[in-house]
Parts: sequence; C-alpha cells; structure tokens
Amino acid sequence: MAATRGSSRRVFELFVSRIPWTLTTKELKDYFAQFGTVRKCMLPFDKETGFHKGLCWVGFSSEEGLHNALQKDSHILEGVKLQIRQQKPRSFRSQYADEGVADMS
Amino acid sequence: SFIALQKSCLQLFMGKSYSLLQSFTHLIYQARLFAVAPHQKGKVQEEPVLSIQNKQAQNFDWALNKLDSSVRRTGRITRALLLRIFHDMCRTGYPSSNQALLLLRSCGSLLPEVPLCERTELAHMIWGKLQDLGAVYDASHYNALLKVYLQNEHKFSPTEFLSKMEEANVQPNRVTYQRLIAAYCNEGDIEGASKILGFMKMKELPITEAVFSSLVTGHARTGDMENAENILSVMRDAGIEPGPDTYLALLNAYAEKGDINNIKQILEKVEKMEGNFMDRDLMQVIFSLAKAGYPQYVQDIMSHMRYERGYIPDAMNLTLNLITQGLEDTAFQIFKSFPSLLSENHSESSMDYGNFFLRHCVTTDKLKQFCDELKEANMHSSPLQFTLYCALESKKADLAINLMKTMKEEGLPLRPHYCWPLLVGYQKEKNVQGTIGVLKAMHELGVEPDVETYTNYVLTNFDDIQTFRALLQENDCPFETEGLSVAELRHEAIYGTLENITELLYTDGRYCQTPPGPTEAVGYFLYNLIDSMSDSEVQAKEEHLRQYFHQLKKMNVVIPTNIYRGIHNLLDIYHVPELIKVCGYINTELGVSALEEELEKLKAEKQPIGNVLKQLIVALCAEENMQKALEVKAKYEPDMVVGGYAALINLCCRHDNVEDAMNLKEEVFRKDSSVALDTNKYLALVQVLGKHGRLEDAINILKEMKEKDIPIKDTTVTFFFHILNAAAMRGGVETVNRLHESILMLGLAKPSTNLCSPLITVHLEKDDVPAALEATIDCYKKYGTIPRLHDILCRLIEQGNTDLLQKAMDFMSQERGEMTMLYDIFFAFLNTGKYKEAKKIIETPGLRARPARLQWFAEKCIAANQMETLENMVEMTQKLFECDREQMYYYLLKLCKISNDWQKADATWTKMQEENVIPRERTLRLLADTLKNNGQEVPFDVPEIWYEDRIESATVSENNPEKKVLMLCKKSIFCSNIFNIRTVVFIISPWCSTIYYRIRSIAETHIKGFTLNDAASSLLIITQVRRDYLKDAMSTLKTVVESDMVPIPLAVTRLIQALAMKGDLESICAVEKMVENLAASIGLSRMLFVNNTVLAHIKNNNLDMAVEYIEPLFISGMQNPDSPIPSMSYVFRKVIEERLEPALEKLSAMAERLVNQFGVYKPATDLFLQYVDAGRVDDARFLLQRCGGIAEQKKILMAFIETRNLFVMKCTAEEKLLTDISCNFYFFPLVLDNDLASAKTLFEKVKAANIHTDEIFLKRLAVLLRNAGEPVPFTEPPVSVFSD
Repeated sequence: MAATRGSSRRVFELFVSRIPWTLTTKELKDYFAQFGTVRKCMLPFDKETGFHKGLCWVGFSSEEGLHNALQKDSHILEGVKLQIRQQKPRSFRSQYADEGVADMS
Repeated sequence: SFIALQKSCLQLFMGKSYSLLQSFTHLIYQARLFAVAPHQKGKVQEEPVLSIQNKQAQNFDWALNKLDSSVRRTGRITRALLLRIFHDMCRTGYPSSNQALLLLRSCGSLLPEVPLCERTELAHMIWGKLQDLGAVYDASHYNALLKVYLQNEHKFSPTEFLSKMEEANVQPNRVTYQRLIAAYCNEGDIEGASKILGFMKMKELPITEAVFSSLVTGHARTGDMENAENILSVMRDAGIEPGPDTYLALLNAYAEKGDINNIKQILEKVEKMEGNFMDRDLMQVIFSLAKAGYPQYVQDIMSHMRYERGYIPDAMNLTLNLITQGLEDTAFQIFKSFPSLLSENHSESSMDYGNFFLRHCVTTDKLKQFCDELKEANMHSSPLQFTLYCALESKKADLAINLMKTMKEEGLPLRPHYCWPLLVGYQKEKNVQGTIGVLKAMHELGVEPDVETYTNYVLTNFDDIQTFRALLQENDCPFETEGLSVAELRHEAIYGTLENITELLYTDGRYCQTPPGPTEAVGYFLYNLIDSMSDSEVQAKEEHLRQYFHQLKKMNVVIPTNIYRGIHNLLDIYHVPELIKVCGYINTELGVSALEEELEKLKAEKQPIGNVLKQLIVALCAEENMQKALEVKAKYEPDMVVGGYAALINLCCRHDNVEDAMNLKEEVFRKDSSVALDTNKYLALVQVLGKHGRLEDAINILKEMKEKDIPIKDTTVTFFFHILNAAAMRGGVETVNRLHESILMLGLAKPSTNLCSPLITVHLEKDDVPAALEATIDCYKKYGTIPRLHDILCRLIEQGNTDLLQKAMDFMSQERGEMTMLYDIFFAFLNTGKYKEAKKIIETPGLRARPARLQWFAEKCIAANQMETLENMVEMTQKLFECDREQMYYYLLKLCKISNDWQKADATWTKMQEENVIPRERTLRLLADTLKNNGQEVPFDVPEIWYEDRIESATVSENNPEKKVLMLCKKSIFCSNIFNIRTVVFIISPWCSTIYYRIRSIAETHIKGFTLNDAASSLLIITQVRRDYLKDAMSTLKTVVESDMVPIPLAVTRLIQALAMKGDLESICAVEKMVENLAASIGLSRMLFVNNTVLAHIKNNNLDMAVEYIEPLFISGMQNPDSPIPSMSYVFRKVIEERLEPALEKLSAMAERLVNQFGVYKPATDLFLQYVDAGRVDDARFLLQRCGGIAEQKKILMAFIETRNLFVMKCTAEEKLLTDISCNFYFFPLVLDNDLASAKTLFEKVKAANIHTDEIFLKRLAVLLRNAGEPVPFTEPPVSVFSD
C-alpha cells in the first residue's frame, strides 16, 4: 500500500440503508468489494433485539472505490434494493464509536 | 364524473330533474366504527419543553393521540399498544373518565388480531382496574362496554347488566336500550328484546332504525326469515324508511344461512334504489358467509366491491379478523384481491406485499403454502425470510427453527445471526437450557456459531467457560471450534474492561454529573435559584444577587413579566426590598399638570424645554385632549421636537382631523425632511385621507413609506386590510382598487386572500354579484387568491343565477380541482339552507374530509350562531371518509355552549355515544359547562373541575401570581392526572403550606381517593422543613403515615433534625411514635432519634439530661456485643459546628469516662475524628494523649478515611500532627490517590520526627514506589499484613 500512503489514514465512506435483516457484515463487505478495497464495514446490531438496524457504513480505502459504488444506479443484494449515499467524514466515528460494532477491517 | 357531477348539482338545485342524480352514487354507510380527534400535535417528544403547562397538556393528550393515530391510519390497534397505554395510565395514578372510555372502547373490533374472548377479558380487566384507581363510570362507559360485548359476540345477561347499572346509580339512555335489544336479538331472543322495547316506549324514547335492524337480526336468528323481512314494512308503517343498516342486517341474516340468491336480490334492489353499500358493509357480509361455512360465495360479494378510499385498511382488518377466527383461506383470498396488487405498483424494487398477513399467520401450519403462493404470484420476494423475521421477533423459537429447516430445504442460505434474536431472549432470562437448545439446533442445521454469536449472545450467560463447554459436549455440540476459542479470549478482555469502566463511572464525579438541562429562560433559572435559597441565605447573599441582577441588566437580559412577578413575590417573602428595586422597573411618569408646571418653570429659567414639551404633548395625547395639545403646540412651536409632532399627528388622525394632521406633517417635514414617522402613524394618515376622499394624498403617503423604508409588520398588513375594507364599505370602487394596487405595486404587502377581499366586498356591498365574481376571478389571475368566493356562491344560489354559478364552478374546478369546488358548493348549499343538495354533494364517492375547510365553515357557523346549519353539516359528514367526528361534535357543543342550549348539548352527547365517538376532555368540559350553567346535573365525571374558578380567575390571575399558581396546580392535578412531583413541589414551595392545603382540599373534594403520592408528600415535608414550617411538616407526615404511605427516610431525618435544633423534645417523641412501625423497614436508624434527642436537650441547655440519656446506651450496648455500637458522631459534629463549648466539654468528659471505666472507645474515637474533620488538631491530640486506645480503633479510623474527601485529608497531613497512628492514617489517602510525591515527603517527615512506622504504612509505601518503578529504601514487610 506504499503508493497510497499519503491518504492511507483517510477512509472514504458510504452510508448504506434499507439493508434486509438477513444480511450481515460479511455479505455487504463481499458485495462492495467489487467497487474497491473495503477497509471498514460497520453494521450495528441492537443488543436488545438481536437484529441489526438496517444501516451500514462501508469504508473504502480509496476515493475511486467510493465513486465506483456511487456511480452504480442501483444496488440490489439478494433481491433487495439498498439505499446508498456518501457519508460525510465528520460524523463517522463520533456517532457510532460506542456502539460496539464489529470492525471488519 | 366530477364534471358531470357539477352539472347534475345545478340541475338538482334548479329542480329540473332528479334522474340525472342517478349518477350520484348515494353512499350509504354503516356508522363509522370509530373516530377520535386527530389533534395533530406532531411528535410530542421531540418538541422542546417550553413550560410546565405545555408538558402537562402533552402528557394529557398523549394516550389519545397515540391510539388515535393508530386507529386513523389502520382502523386497528395492537394489543401491545393498548396494554402499554393502559399500564402507563395505571402508573400515573388517576385515570380520567374519558381516558377510561377510550381504553374500553378499544377492546372490541379494533383488535382484529386478538381472539374475541380475550378482547372481552381485556375489557373486563381494564374496567375493574380503572375503577379501583378511581375512574368514575357513566352511561357512556356502560354503552361502550355494551358495544364491546356486541362486537366480541360476548354472551351476557342484559337484565343483569341493567341491574348493575342501577346499582351504580347510572341511568340507562336510548343508546343503552338499543344495544341491549341488539344483544337479545343476537341470541334470537325476541321476547327479551320486546321487554326492553317496552322500557323505551315507557320512557318515550324514540325508536330508531337501529332498533328495527336489530329486530331483523333477531327474527332471522330464530330462523324466521319471513318475519325478518316483515320488519321492513313495520318500519315503514312507523314512518321510518329502511336504510342501509336495515338492509345490511338482512344481508347478514341471509349470509348466515348461505342464501346467496336472496343476497344478490337485495344487493340489486338497493342499487336500484339509488343506494349502494360501502365496501366495509360488504366485508361484514363476507365475514358472515365465511364464518357460517359458505366461503364459496365470497367471490360473489367481492365482485360488488368498489375499492373506495379506505378499502385497504378495512380489508386488512377483515383479513386479520378471519385469520383470528381460523379462516385463513378466505383471509388469503381477500388479501389477494387488494387493488394495489393489481395496479401498476410493481416496480423494479419489487415491493413486498402481505407482510401483515404473514405476521399474523405465524401460528398456522398453512404458512408454508401461503409463502409458496405469494412467491409464485410474485407478490413477495422473500416470504419465508419475512416469516422467519416475525417468528424471531415474537420469540417463537420452535417455529423459527422449523422455518429455518424449510429454508434450508429450499436452498436458502442460513446465517449465524438468524439466531441472535432468540439468544438475546434467553440471555435476558438467563435461560441456559434455551441457549444450549438454540446452539444445538444451529448445529443440526449446519450453521456454526461465529465469534460474535458466542461473544455477544452466549458466553455472557455462563459463569465460566468450562461449564459451558461441558454442556455443549453433553448436548452433542462441537465445543472446540475456532469461533468459541476466539470468543473466549474476547469475552475475558471485554469483561475485564467493563468492570473498570463501571467502577470509574460510579466513583469518579466527572462522569456522574447530570447533563446540563435544556437552556431554559434565564428567568426560570433565577426563579429556581432564589426559590432554592432559604430566607437567611438570600439575605446573606443579597449583595451577590444585587450584582448579579446588575450584570444581567447589563447583558440586556429580560425576564418575562410572569416570572418576574414570581421572583418579586419570593423576594417579598424574604424581606429584601432592596433587591426588588433592582430587579424591578421604576415607573416615574408625571401627569399633565406636573408637566405644565415643569414647563413653565424651565421656560422662566430659560432652560431648554424640548423634552418636557414632548412629554406634555404625549401626556395630552394620552388624555385624548386634542384641542389643548394643539394649543400647546402652537404656543411652543419653535421648541417642538419630532416625537411631539408624531404623537400629535396620530391624535388628529384618531379624531378624524385630516386637515391638522396633514398640516402638522408638512410642518415637521419643513423642519427636517428626512424625518420618518413610525408605521402606524403613517397608516393612520392613509386611513383618514382615504376616508376623506383624498386618494392622491393617501397614495403619496404610501409612496413615502416605501421611500423611507418604513418597517412592515404583520399588524401593518392587517391595518392595510382595515383601510381597504373601510373604503369598500363606503363603496368607493376606485379608492379600493387604487389603494390596493399601490400597496402591492410598492411592495408594501404581498397579495393575500384577506388583503384582496375588499376588492370583492366593494361589489357585494352594492349587490353587484356579477362584478364581484369578475373581480374574484381577476384576483385569481393577478394574485392567485380567490377571496370571498363563498359569499359570491351563496348570493348566486339565493338569486338562482345558474349561468353564473356554472361559470364560478367551472372556474373553480379548473383552477383549484374538483374536490375544492365540491367543498365550496357544499358550504354554499349549507349556508343557504339547501340541505338536500348539500347532502348529495358531500356524499360524492371519493370525497374525503378536509379538516381545515370543515373547521372554517364550522367556526363560521359558530360565529354567526347558525345552529341548524352546523347541525346539518355534522349530520351529513357522518360517513365522510376520514372525518374527525369528535371534532365535529366539538364544534356543535361549542355552539350549544355559546347559545346556552343545554337540551341540544345533552342530545349531542347521546348522539356521540350512538356513533361511538370518544369525547376528548375539552369536549366533556364544554358539555359539563353548558349543563351546569343551566342548573342541570352533569351525568358524568368531569375531567377538570377548575371551571368553577374560571370566571374569577380570568379577572384576578393577571396580577395575582398566587392565584395563578393555584390555577396551575389545579390544572396539573386535573388535566394530567399525572402528579408530577417535581412540578408541584416546585410550584407550591414559595407559597408552601397555605396554598398546598387549598390545592389539596380542591383535589380531595373532586377526585375520588385523591392523595399526594409518597414521594410528593415527602418532598413537601422537606420543603416545609426548609421553610421552617415544622408544624405543617409534622401534620403532612401524620397524613402520610395514616394513609399507609411510606415517607422517604430523608424527609423524616430532616424533620427530626430541625426539631432537635429547636429543642422540641415533645415533637421528636411524637414523630418517633408516628414512624415507629416504619423505621426499620425504611432504614431509619434508631440513633437518629437518640442523637437528636441528645441535641434537643443540649439546645435546651440541659446538659446533664443529655448525658444521662445517652451514656447508659453505650454501657448497655457493651453488654450485648452482637448489637452494633451506636454512633453519636452527628451530635459531636453539631456541637462542634455550633460551637457549644460547654456541651462539648461535658460530652468529651463522658467519652473519656466510657473509655476509662468501661473500655468503650467508640464515642471517644468518633469525637477524635470529628475534631480532625473540623480542623481542631490540638483538641484531637489532647484527646489522643488521654485515650491512647483510640489509635487501636483501626476499623473506625479506616472507615472514616474512606468516606472523606481525599484532598482535605492530604492538606491536613502536610502540616498537622504526626503521631504513631496518624501518620498511617494520613498516609493512606495518599496511597489511594497514587500521590507518590506527597507520600515520599510524608515519609521523610515521619523519619525526621523519629516516629515509629508500622508495617501497613511501609507496605503501602513500598507498593507505591514499586508501581512507580522506584527503589524501595527499606525492608519491605511480608505480604500478610494486608489481609489483616
């Protein structure tokens, strides 16, 4: 990763919503890997119910990955259309830092 | 069809032909099952809490809104929601009667997912529980219960029901009898029904269609269809035309017999009679068919559906009801007929349909079949997954596992997290077997749990991993997987960390801070601040507060008047008049004569008079003395300033003196052309100029306003309207048009309906309706507004001008849509008394309620006292889709109140029951008011009783904060039923006891079984103590104890302590007696009473008595080594604090005596510690010298250290005595605090003083040093000392 060292600390984040309950981090990470290297994939689960909240933050290691993902018209995973948008960098950590989510980097 | 409709309307109206009306579909509805007020408040919780009142109002309506939104959206509620609201209501204590009604009402067909008998059980449970809580039931409650019985097909004895009502002294009314007849008829008991009918006749109650419909059902259920049919002709003979209800009863009767031919005939017949059944009615027939075992005919009925608005929620409820009754196949058939499935909605995102169906179906074994069918029909992309979701959500483990098996068979992926919801449940219950069971099932399904599964949902359930592994082994599950090992590691790590964090959170003050609350107004803060201080505190801090007020003033902080008054009152109580002055405003305005004298004086002294002259002019203007003001102005003209002119111009305008006003204006402008008047003065000029026909001058003033950029406010626009409207009333078409045009052209105001309406008014005033219509159409083209259309339409109808009416309607439907047009014409027909025509309009299929428009018309009727019109509207909108019935009745009752017509109000109430409308509390209040005003008995429990004081309060409350507070409290008691402890104590504390007793007496007389709850009473006691109202506090405590409530220990403690400081032994005894039986259970130490008795003796200067009282306790305590040694630290502390030296001497002597004669060290040690704590080191040293054994009381000493502020201890350690024990004693905190530097210094000092250091000391220092990586310069003692 020597070539991208300059930006290696930055993560290019995608906010994914309307994720069906049947999916988990693994499926999402595998899916989004087609657009670029996925550095992070956070899908918070509600410890009270055992279901996740349908929201996920996918972090690409390059801007290109993020752009590729954003450019695709629709993202359909196991028959369900996911909603995606770019996540503003600021709130990523602060918002979900304490959720105890699985960081799959 | 809408266009056709307009035309037919006209023809109808002109009386030409009714034939065209067949295109109108005469909508016949079964009474809407449920309607409650919408009261759109938005999301209550998200709004910042503005004030206490607001909050209470929100609490008050919360339940209603919650239920309401569910019912309005879906026509049903879930049992969970109902129970949640019920429990909330129970918890808050005092259910009002209409909240009770709301809950009862919800136990019938609104719960389609709940089996019938369970619904009735629920109703009975709620009935009983709320009654216990003090809900008062009236006829409306009994009627609601009857309705629930009928909806739930509950079998009961109507005569018993009646006698129960009689026992409760509740009079049955028309609705009661109607429903009892229905109950008899449902059982086929014509005789029983006739008996009730007899009652009704005896009481001369009208026999309505509902009764006849019941009789149809009654005869049918006896199997006598002929007689059932005959009822229709009996009705006609009685002068009642059979309506939709009757035919529906007949349809259901045939449905129960499976007689499809007769059903078809009736349907045809009704259609021919230009009637039509609502979809909802037909659904009842379907339900009857399915239930009676004739599902084969359901399709026939389906073909008559019109899929009108509201079809889907109704059909969903039918589906759910059918499933509940075990008729899933018919349910599925209905579900498949949903129009959204047939329409275009199939987009690429492939919407899933039938979630609700699957969710409710999760219990049946046909589930798999339904899933397959849905999938095949492309209606649902993943029915199995969704069903699994439902099963997991409702924690149905067996079903979930079965579904997973099916999914596996279907080749669908299974993932470890599918089991998490089940595991979460077992985790919460600590159900080890359940957890293992799921793991086993997972293993069998071939899904191996991953690290997350173990870490988050499994391992937390087991004390140690070995047991868990053993259990796994026992159950043939793999127990050596990678996932488990990793999880084990993680578990430890997480578990350890959590411990630390928790500890940190509990012990470190930085984490415990309460978050700063929402930034309330400074006023509230100040109020609370001052309120929380006692008299002496405020007096002591007067200077502080004074500076603070000054600072606030500098910061331009403004305190709202009402809060200011509250603060003022508090300060008044505290006797700090100086502060009041600083806090308040000083009004030093002079009167006219004083000013005149002042003016003359200044003039004589040849001093500038400008300012006083202005004040004089202003004062004269205030007195409306135009003549004198003008004279004064003429006399001192050279000294006049702008302010004086402005006031004078305004005065002239008010007095219609246009000449002087304009002259003055020119005069002041000659002096300074840049001068601008304020907005209202310009407007006054425009008004008076317009009135006197000086149009050009008026327009010039408008222009000047624009040039000088005069600020325009909302009130300015209203003022413009009044100017224009006045001109319109005078009939000046040109004036109105030109002024209006100028205002808009200059951009002084934006065009609005209101501002444009004078353009039409001017024509209507001249009765030139065509011109008015032209003008309004013109307005629409120019400004997009359609002012006064209603008046125009009414005039056209009255004049019978069909051509223009047609034109108006064409215009409306073209520009604003058919719906708007229909409402317009509906209101116009209503207003002109053409009710038949209005009814046809409002029954147009597809029309839905527009609350804003209905409100507009209702308020118009109320304002104009048009009872008949309003009544007709309320009646006609009964079946209007989404119409808020409660709101409609509210309008009606409002008018009843205004016109003081209690009979109409009473009849309205009965009608509401018949229609099953739950009145909101404001509606009940209105009704109660109306009845009471006419000396009638109020037959129900009124939620708020403060109306008694309404008139009184309206006049007084403005300047009487005490009264206001009282009102507020009453509101809080009656509105919310939630006795918000903090609020009430907060409110009543300044006025404390007197007002509290008033509030309580009001509450007690009006609310059955009213009491303050435990916590509120306790807080009241604390407040009373704080304010030194000890007698009151005593009696509050007495009430608390007598009513079997449990006071907070702190309240008792505070009271006892206060009594001790007063030396009131008698009261201490009394309190002790009061709480005798409670003391142990609430953790009140006996020493509380002992110590305070000692203190009371001391306060009374009775030192010998004090010692005589306490000393034996220690001696006898010694003989019983098991009992805890009493502590009198509190007494020592108080005595030291209060500097009661003689007492201290006596007690000290006693402590020494106990040491020397009895070997009881506790008092001496306590005293020693109190000396240390108070910084009286010498006293401590002397005591220690005399009683060396104190140093041996390690337990007491350590316990003391651990509770003390470490910082304080450190400070004392630096400079105070160092003795054998105290070095250890001082040292300990340093170690605890990891303060190595201080510890080392202390060690040096100890060494220098050549003091013996004990092992614990050395051990602790060694640990500290080692932890810091420093060498230990002495021989470290062995470990064992720690375990001591």
